[in-house]
Amino acid sequence: MDKYECTACGYVYDPAVGDPDNGVPPGTKFEDLPDGWVCPQCGVGKELFSKLD
Amino acid sequence: MNIIIVGGGLAGTLAAKALRELDPDVGIEIFGEEKQPYYPRPNLIEFLAGRLPAEKVFAFTEGWAAKQRIGLRLGETVVRVRPADRTVETAAGESRPYDVLLLATGARASLPPVPGTERKGVFVLRTLDDAIALADHLRDHRRTVILGGGLLGLEIARAVRTHGAEVRVVEFFDRLLPRQLDPAAAAILKGQFEKMGVSVVLGAVTQEIFGDGSVRGLRLESGAAFEADAVVVAAGIKPETSLAREAGLAVAKGIVVDDRMRTSDPAVFAAGDAAEHRGRVYGIIPAAFEQARAAARNMLGQDLAYAGTVPANTLKVAGLAVTSIGEFGAEGPGFESIVRAEPEQGLYKKIVLQEGRAVGAIWMGTSKGAADISRLVTFKKDVGSRKRDILEDAFDFSEIS
Repeated sequence: MDKYECTACGYVYDPAVGDPDNGVPPGTKFEDLPDGWVCPQCGVGKELFSKLD
Repeated sequence: MNIIIVGGGLAGTLAAKALRELDPDVGIEIFGEEKQPYYPRPNLIEFLAGRLPAEKVFAFTEGWAAKQRIGLRLGETVVRVRPADRTVETAAGESRPYDVLLLATGARASLPPVPGTERKGVFVLRTLDDAIALADHLRDHRRTVILGGGLLGLEIARAVRTHGAEVRVVEFFDRLLPRQLDPAAAAILKGQFEKMGVSVVLGAVTQEIFGDGSVRGLRLESGAAFEADAVVVAAGIKPETSLAREAGLAVAKGIVVDDRMRTSDPAVFAAGDAAEHRGRVYGIIPAAFEQARAAARNMLGQDLAYAGTVPANTLKVAGLAVTSIGEFGAEGPGFESIVRAEPEQGLYKKIVLQEGRAVGAIWMGTSKGAADISRLVTFKKDVGSRKRDILEDAFDFSEIS
């Protein structure tokens, strides 16, 4: 599963880890994050993330 | 212990968050000039483009600060800091004592010394209030000139263009993003904006923003003039240092801090866009983060050195991924450049070699391979025999160890 990086602050979303603090269980693909999900570090939305390869 | 933070933006808010995580008991109070709680600034562009409603620009849920027992004093401007008796004074005349103080006063939009910036219809984009005012104005004023073709200016241009407004970007330099792009890549980027319907004027020295009470247009020193109903100035930022300066703290370009984010007064720290560390004012989000975290630890007496922030070499401009690293513009004896350009697609890949080793690169229009090319340049890898293949989409970077 692909990791995504926040282009605003550098936070990396790792699907293997998820974002449990905000109710996203480990194993959740970036594409499957809810629309209202924001970067847990700086608060920008999904559209400011880019895929890491 | 009571900690006061001046500034409710990213550095102030994230420092408060870090402080609370480190210490459940310390008193934390944030004084903010703006009435709104912290919002990430990139969200203002999303708001301006109409993709994000104003009530959704904020980073934390309502009630977050209260739950964290962080006192949020929004709309209460600190007008004076008195290091000698460790108090701050608000505009309303209230005096508050602190044991440790953090100045996270941020930066303001710079206005160039051009006549006419005071006219109605001239805007900057720094705060949510700025963004709301600009969005309101643009509803019935369609012709927009953006003064400044840097990252912010280009993002504003794209956002405003989304609404079908007539947009012109006026840039002093002879190409877009000179610090990130070489002339060929900058020309492709310009083409991408023109395809969006944004016109770009380069090498333009502004003589005046003309009009009566309101803006009517912009005149260049070349004699050219553009009619406009709105002029948005995106000419950089300047650190807000006046509180620190009046308090007698060391100030240069920003509020001078050491590796512990401590100012010249041992009980006063600074972080974010207002702080100057090792001669450098960053003005970028990742630096504000790292400084806020370092400041939080040191304010609690835990020793954490901040060694500076390496700016990311990848950014997104108007939806286009741009990676530039190393000596991407190097030319002349000893240097060799390999380029692949597909202007229609907005694609530009370039690698600069010195004696067969990768010393610089630009990757625009794709993020595929961007991390790999950055690694090759960072370690100055010898790519001699594969130098042409590298620019192909399907190249397998594991072939170069």
